[in-house]
Amino acid sequence: MDKSAWNILLVDDEVEFISTLAERLEIRGIDARVVYDGEAALKAVAENEPQVMVLDVMMPGIKGLDVLQRVKEEHPKVQVILLTGQGKTRDGIEGMRYGAFAYMMKPLDLEELIATLGEAMKASQGTPNA
Amino acid sequence: MPEIAPEARFMGTVTALTMHEMQNILAIIRESAGLMGDILKVNARVEFKHRPNMERTLEHIATHVDRGKGLLEATSRLAHSPDDDLLDGCDLAVYARTVAQLSERLVRLRGAAVDFTPASSALPVAVGALRILMAGYRAVQWAVGAGVKEGVVRMSVEAGQEYHALSLLPPQGAQQDREGLTVLASLLEEGRVEWDGARLRLFFPVRKQE
Repeated sequence: MDKSAWNILLVDDEVEFISTLAERLEIRGIDARVVYDGEAALKAVAENEPQVMVLDVMMPGIKGLDVLQRVKEEHPKVQVILLTGQGKTRDGIEGMRYGAFAYMMKPLDLEELIATLGEAMKASQGTPNA
Repeated sequence: MPEIAPEARFMGTVTALTMHEMQNILAIIRESAGLMGDILKVNARVEFKHRPNMERTLEHIATHVDRGKGLLEATSRLAHSPDDDLLDGCDLAVYARTVAQLSERLVRLRGAAVDFTPASSALPVAVGALRILMAGYRAVQWAVGAGVKEGVVRMSVEAGQEYHALSLLPPQGAQQDREGLTVLASLLEEGRVEWDGARLRLFFPVRKQE
């Protein structure tokens, strides 16, 4: 799979974390857009629908699970990988009920994230529009 | 449902939020160190005097981020244990591992170590998570007892029909007091404690499927 063609959106209010993660993905040939809150995420999805969105659950403003619900309602093809806290598996399970593709815990294992991105990318190509 | 003191709920809430911040801090450290490692690899042919020191330091950072991640996971579980949905019952397999993680420091202060064998499947029990953590931690304190200078506390879980058990093998030379067993029994409520002179078992009633 050609990783350079992946359309990925990263969403987290921890600027140093998410921008450094984007740099590490770029070194591996994966370009990702980065936004830092839920409102900007919804705008970015509306402007250029990503195939996969990596979304932090706990952010100021619009919460991650609310962003997830709105994205899945308006853009069902977008696959969402949630970032949850240690010991907060309940958020991840709830997110799966709302249609998240997967949930992962911070700190991330980069290789595991890339593997999950690949699976989500395949799912985005096979997902029906409704 | 067991009652939880407001003080315990307050400590749980504040600790859970603080742990969330710690998780973000660890994530930033991991990604930053990871990026430095990536840059070193991309420039593998560029030699400089302190490259080995830098690579070794990055390995140390990765090791200790993993260590911090384990502690964070255990402390977060402790902080969330007074949550309503964890008061009636929980998975002993998960909370036995949490006991092992939380008691590592305590055991290390005695010069010993914890060796935990995880369960291969979930072990639902009709006991709250906080109760398991309290009883389990107290059991480890009892198991290392007095007189321990080194050795290993071996922890595992055992599945049963009516009761699942948390099992502890104290290090050799540890001197346990009988009074401690009475305290442990009082923490177990509907469970029970057994000590056969070599192995301590805490039994928790199985949560039956409705």
